Amino acid sequence: MTRAVTDEIGRTVEVPANPQRIVSLAPSITEVLFALGLGDRVIGVTTYCDYPPEATAKEKIGDTLRPSVEKIVALRADLVIASTASQLEQFIRKLDGLGIAVYVSNPRQVKDVAETIERLGALTGVTERARELSDKLQKRLAAIDLKVQAAPRPRVLIILSTEPLITAGGSTFVNDLIERAGGRSISANETAEYPQYSLETAVASRPEVIFLQAQDARLPERLKETPAARSGRVFHIDDNLMLRPGPRIIDGVEQVAAEIHPEIFKPGESLNPATR
Amino acid sequence: MMMSETTMRPTRAGIAVRERLTARRLAVMLTVLLLTVVVLLIVAVTIGSESVKLVTILKIMVAEVSGRAVDVSPENHLIIARIRLPRALMAMVVGAGLAVAGAAYQALLKNPLADPAILGVSSGGALGAIAAMIFAGSLPISRPIAAFIGAMITTAFVYALGQSRQGDSSIRLILAGVITNALLSSIVIFLVTTAAGARQRSVISWLIGDMGGETALLPLVALFVLMGIAVIYINARSLNLLMVSELDAFALGVEVNRVKLTVYIAASLITGATVAVSGAIGFVGLIIPHAMRLVGGSDNRLIIPASALAGGAFLLLADTIARTVIAPLELPIGVITALVGAPVFIYLLWRTS
Repeated sequence: MTRAVTDEIGRTVEVPANPQRIVSLAPSITEVLFALGLGDRVIGVTTYCDYPPEATAKEKIGDTLRPSVEKIVALRADLVIASTASQLEQFIRKLDGLGIAVYVSNPRQVKDVAETIERLGALTGVTERARELSDKLQKRLAAIDLKVQAAPRPRVLIILSTEPLITAGGSTFVNDLIERAGGRSISANETAEYPQYSLETAVASRPEVIFLQAQDARLPERLKETPAARSGRVFHIDDNLMLRPGPRIIDGVEQVAAEIHPEIFKPGESLNPATR
Repeated sequence: MMMSETTMRPTRAGIAVRERLTARRLAVMLTVLLLTVVVLLIVAVTIGSESVKLVTILKIMVAEVSGRAVDVSPENHLIIARIRLPRALMAMVVGAGLAVAGAAYQALLKNPLADPAILGVSSGGALGAIAAMIFAGSLPISRPIAAFIGAMITTAFVYALGQSRQGDSSIRLILAGVITNALLSSIVIFLVTTAAGARQRSVISWLIGDMGGETALLPLVALFVLMGIAVIYINARSLNLLMVSELDAFALGVEVNRVKLTVYIAASLITGATVAVSGAIGFVGLIIPHAMRLVGGSDNRLIIPASALAGGAFLLLADTIARTVIAPLELPIGVITALVGAPVFIYLLWRTS
């Protein structure tokens, strides 16, 4: 028995009324499904799906960029869940053509994660559990909002790559995360998603906090005189926690908020300060 | 008027007149080019994504030279003295180097389409630099040296592959370069994607070229490039003879093999040093020497220094455009050089067909 649902990018999909063999095409989706207690119904994940640890024991269908159609067919999946973050438009069309039900989730901002959780809950028949999880997430988000609302917003520089300097534009998930945490990215006005950015503008903007994405990235020499570097406020972003639109995103927002506003959030679990 | 020795030879009609190199022509052309470089250098330091007042820039320059403190904001000081000026100087050095390396390869290989990027030599240099990043990441000085070795091996390989049984073949050589470039580029992409030590710089900046990187190596790169240019210039007269005929050159007392080896090492040294800091910027080595020959004839005693100045001017201009046209965002400089260079390349192909 199937029913028609509309996914998060507006496609109408025929899905099984009670899907039992689910394949996840993104680590964030895998995390949502396990958080909803659907671990047993997940039969395939990507090689990047490393949380929760039980997920790593599942059958691998490839990585997020190059999943294998054959594997998904062989697993007799009755529902495939993808995320727009993986940019798999062509792949999704291919699965469509084979008559495999594909639901596409599309969290563009931190708050969308709550909606994704509820929609995936409705899709898999665990509406109640999903609502609980979503409520908890929204309450924690609201608590952060309340705390940072009145506070001044420190200027934040997000560095995704150092040579050349690549930062994040206003429409990206990471930009929203910084805003949520009470910061203001100096590249928030850029429309390009991941623009190559002028080093002199980065210096002139006097960033007060700097986040480096890659774990092995070092702060460029000429950013060492910035207020952020001088006050030791250069941090590495934990990709898995902060750039993965799953249930743990709220932990990421809380950590970033604590780094941006140490005066508001008492020192708890903090990010690892970047080695300089 | 003082005449150079070429004019002492009996001139052939027509083309030979234009080929004649006089001291006056040399002086005029080099002076004009030098002035262009100076003007472009001033422009490059004056404009950027942040506006800094001319007075402030002058103060900073005075402070840099005299070592005295002045009342400018630390940000402005950093922007002018440690971001804009070193970057402009680096663009100048890289442009000068690539143009002379191109002129040298063209003379050496007797092929008008030779250029460090087209021959794959730049990719070989990039691969050397990446290997140095992986295995000697804490020692940045190893990058230009490893890039030099990579460039040298690649030149030898492409040259060997480009030889046909009938001797030199233009098309075969360019094909060898294209294939080698494709192979080396894929290895570059593989390493930058997978090897932790290589991830500091993006694939694009290696393969297309970008001037946004560190400038700490500027003195070393300048030294390598100047040495390379000097060595090639010293051999300019021998290169003139080689371009006409190796047999004649030998008969006129040129130690053909020694000259070829020396120039080839010097050109690889330049290519390696420049690629290590800015990636494989294309077309500079191709279009600049051609433009200089169009204006000043084919005597390498003019073409080498003129290409150095014009190459420096060209990259200064290209870099200024790359970092201001969509400020505060930047374009990789290779995009600009290719936009100008590719049509010139097409024109050259069409004209020589």
